[in-house]
Amino acid sequence: MKKRDHQESCSSSYGGGGGGGSSSNGKAAKTCWEDEQDPSGGMDELLAVLGYKVRSSDMADVALKLEQLEMVIGHEDGVSLSQLQNDTVHYNPSDLSAWVQTMLSEINTPLRDPVQSLNGGLDFSDLPDRVSSELTQTHLGFSDDSQYDLSAIPGMAAYPAPPTPPPPPQLQLAAAPNKRMKTSIGASDTNLNVTSSSSSSSSSSAVGGAPESTRPVVLVDSQEVGVRLVHTLLACAEAIQQENLKLAEVLVKHVGMLAMSQAGAMSKVATCFAEALARRIYKIYPQASLDTTSYNDILQMHFYESCPYLKFAHFTANQAILEAFTSASRVHVIDFSLKQGMQWPALMQALALRPGGPPTFRLTGIGPPQPDNTDALQQVGWKLAQLAETIGVKFEFRGYLASDLSDLEPSMLDLRPPEMEAVAVNSIFELHRLLARPGQIDKVLSSIKAMKPKIVTMVEQEANHNGPVFLDRFTEALHYYSSLFDSLEGSGPTVADHDLMMSEFYLGRQICNVVACEGPDRFERHENLAQWRSRMSSSGFAPVHLGSNAFKQASMLLALFAGGDGYRVEENNGCLMLGWHTRPLIATSAWQLAPAVVAAGAH
Amino acid sequence: MQFTETLAPQFLTSMNSKNQLHRTRPWPGLLLPASAGPKTTTTTVMTTTFTSFGDANCMEQLLVHCANAIESNDATLAQQILWVLNNTAPPDGDSNQRLTSGFLRALIARAARNGSCKMLAAVAASNYDINIAPQLLHTHRFSIIELASFVDLTPWHRFGFTAANATILEAVEGYSVVHIVDLSSTHCMQIPTLIDAIANRSVDALPPLVKLTVAHVVEEDGQVPPPPRMLDDISYEELGLKLVSFARSRNVALKFQVVRSSYKDGFSSLIDHLRVQKLLFKENSEALVINCHMMLHYISEEAQLPTALIHDPNNLFDPSALISHRTMFLKALRGLDPTVVVLVEEDADLTASDLVARLRSAFNYLWIPYDTMETFLPKGSKQREWYEADICWKIENVIAQEGAQRVERVEPKGRWVQRMRSASFRGIGFGEEAVTEVKAMLDEHAAGWGLKKEEEDHLVLTWKGHNVVFATAWLPC
Repeated sequence: MKKRDHQESCSSSYGGGGGGGSSSNGKAAKTCWEDEQDPSGGMDELLAVLGYKVRSSDMADVALKLEQLEMVIGHEDGVSLSQLQNDTVHYNPSDLSAWVQTMLSEINTPLRDPVQSLNGGLDFSDLPDRVSSELTQTHLGFSDDSQYDLSAIPGMAAYPAPPTPPPPPQLQLAAAPNKRMKTSIGASDTNLNVTSSSSSSSSSSAVGGAPESTRPVVLVDSQEVGVRLVHTLLACAEAIQQENLKLAEVLVKHVGMLAMSQAGAMSKVATCFAEALARRIYKIYPQASLDTTSYNDILQMHFYESCPYLKFAHFTANQAILEAFTSASRVHVIDFSLKQGMQWPALMQALALRPGGPPTFRLTGIGPPQPDNTDALQQVGWKLAQLAETIGVKFEFRGYLASDLSDLEPSMLDLRPPEMEAVAVNSIFELHRLLARPGQIDKVLSSIKAMKPKIVTMVEQEANHNGPVFLDRFTEALHYYSSLFDSLEGSGPTVADHDLMMSEFYLGRQICNVVACEGPDRFERHENLAQWRSRMSSSGFAPVHLGSNAFKQASMLLALFAGGDGYRVEENNGCLMLGWHTRPLIATSAWQLAPAVVAAGAH
Repeated sequence: MQFTETLAPQFLTSMNSKNQLHRTRPWPGLLLPASAGPKTTTTTVMTTTFTSFGDANCMEQLLVHCANAIESNDATLAQQILWVLNNTAPPDGDSNQRLTSGFLRALIARAARNGSCKMLAAVAASNYDINIAPQLLHTHRFSIIELASFVDLTPWHRFGFTAANATILEAVEGYSVVHIVDLSSTHCMQIPTLIDAIANRSVDALPPLVKLTVAHVVEEDGQVPPPPRMLDDISYEELGLKLVSFARSRNVALKFQVVRSSYKDGFSSLIDHLRVQKLLFKENSEALVINCHMMLHYISEEAQLPTALIHDPNNLFDPSALISHRTMFLKALRGLDPTVVVLVEEDADLTASDLVARLRSAFNYLWIPYDTMETFLPKGSKQREWYEADICWKIENVIAQEGAQRVERVEPKGRWVQRMRSASFRGIGFGEEAVTEVKAMLDEHAAGWGLKKEEEDHLVLTWKGHNVVFATAWLPC
């Protein structure tokens, strides 16, 4: 099937082959091509879009270099890729600009589709004009278009429209249409490429000629595109690393094209990364604002529903808290990210049924101020209070608005002596944000110590997205989010489509932050368990072993309802990790004050 | 949850209004013991040392919510409740917690049976027992001696034995041949006492010849799980030998016969065997006693088309043609024209087709064995483990199984009385002698046990005032 699509798209209009045919955008692209078509040249343009074989001599070289690049990156020996970079780019700038136009309109299609279908109001009608307005207007068309495209990205629409970015220099180059250059050579080459790759790798099936025999060919082809996709993404990141934005731009557009021809998680994750790279290249950053915070809460709710990660986080953290509270008659949870309070009904219910009766349960929920000044925290607290009343738990709630956790002062929390009240500090996907500004994490960790918690539970992404080298971060993030998207895809039919889609937005925003942002704006600074261990240890915390009970619980709950059999719970030195197949993706750890700290506090 | 309040972007608002439709529940949160569903009064008794009224009720509500969540495939809610229950109902906790744990395991097993839980089998198969310890669901197979002493530990079975024996003894008075058909889950543990009594009654005269026919419950096709068989298969021969030699020692001649039969088809092979026996031997001097001890509830009570009518197009859609194996069995029994039928069953209703109704009913009955256990089995003892495994097997069968696999189809006394009457039996009361003997037997056990005489002199064993087991006796009309 896929192969057929591919070939069709070589020989007929592009819009039909990209899978976005139902959207008005797809039609627009089609129209665009039809408009532009002239008896000899229309086909060439199409093949150019399919890319790659525009000039067979050059592109074979590029492919080879991409292979080398992967090996280089794979070996992590930091070999300079300057040679690659110098050798690769021989595009005629004029056809580049035509490319820019067309590809940019395509890159975001997968994102745009759902948004559009939900919104129904976006107007794509001017797209063909803009695209077909040809090369003299390319610059203007590009910037409009990019802004337009980005406005479809969730969250982006929440901000005032960003100012038109300065036109990238390479787009201002002379615009001499040169369609002929990537001509029928490209056509024959592209076809040749497809057939040869299929016949060489699965000749037996190709010989048979039966309908089924095309299937292996498809796999090979799509796998190959997948590999090229990853290569191109990495090459693009490498180009950014080298500050070769011109190359990066070409490559990011190419990613968009390749992603179109892929299905499933691969396409989605590549699109997210392409978008993030594009933002970085064109310096169109999302701005953290109050709107995004609350919007992020909503996205997180969908993420909670559609996959087991957050549930795992809550269950494992609650397990540690419940066990730490065993004998306490007054307990106090300080939640660094109350959000919608999803974590607490279960704990409260478990406390209610505790042998010997429930303790008094105090919850201090911390959350960001709301843009509309509604007291979202109090609403959550009120609902929890209702639940507490029904199940007979004495409950106190305090909401604490803080746009920044480091503003938190223990003295404001009305803490009671530890012998009167057992304190748990709980942080789910929160602490890594503090790494964006120097000194913040230390301040917060010392605040935590001042709270004299019986236990500190933290859940963090199991990844290192906070390295000093952009390319390393990018590579790690690409692997990390590929696994995450893959697991979302595998969540099974029980997950509602919109939950899935919103979850992808949720992760897409993280990707965007990791890849596009820098400095204090880059707050998705995930670090792995080893890094957190050493930080926590050096800050005076000692690990608390999450018991085998917690492991069994998590395994059982996951086994019952994860919907896919790719999820794995594993134990790592007393911490619990949830992963997809062999890749751990989130980690729960529990901490207590190191004996020395406790002793010091006693003095 | 007012998402829209926090949404500035227009397209998100429209997106969100859709979500709100979907997201009718405010929270994937938990549930309210006080408000949900009717409370059953039986749980009030559970105010024992450890537990409180609130706990038992709360556990039941959580289980009900969990069952609902599993049935509606609400993974989030089901996971939350399972997490809570796992943490509050340890399998080694107090009786209430262990009871809940049994139900929890059953619910997990049920969830594991529907397709959305592929991984569970793998997890269960691995080392992590995750509270579904398979060995707990493997009931113990006793040796005869073990079983005899085990059955003696509690009036659960002894009550039926005592009441039945007194009635049988009365009914067979004067017969020179007594044919006892023992349909019992306890493998003739009742019979030695009966033989003893027959021998004692006949000191002056020649004791009657006792023919004992036992149904050996077999799996018809190897697919239906049998009820927990308490004895090893091989023990049946041994059992017969022991009974015969015991009878001989009491100067009673005993003929022992085992008939392999399945409850799945309403013991049809046993009925056939008895029909032949009746044709051959039934004379005025032979009494036919049918002793049904907690066995008939394995026969399906679900109405189905009799095999004979399946191919008859005229009867296919006639509801009156639908008949259950249970009804058919009782009719066939009546056809044997027995001298007396004794029916002893647990007094509960575990037949509701609705899972939640069944769960509530089972929860409000099966706390009793857990509660009584505290009085006669020390914590951590092997026997207690076996006893609990039997209850857990039952819970699992009631909750996790459906269709032919669900065999614990216990019905309350009222419904059995109706069934017997419509099969043309009439009830006879238990005499003073029976009552005296039962009372004497109960004196050997804990204070919570009691005896109740209900309408038409049916006897009911009670625990802390709650009906546990009933005994009824029947004659053909």
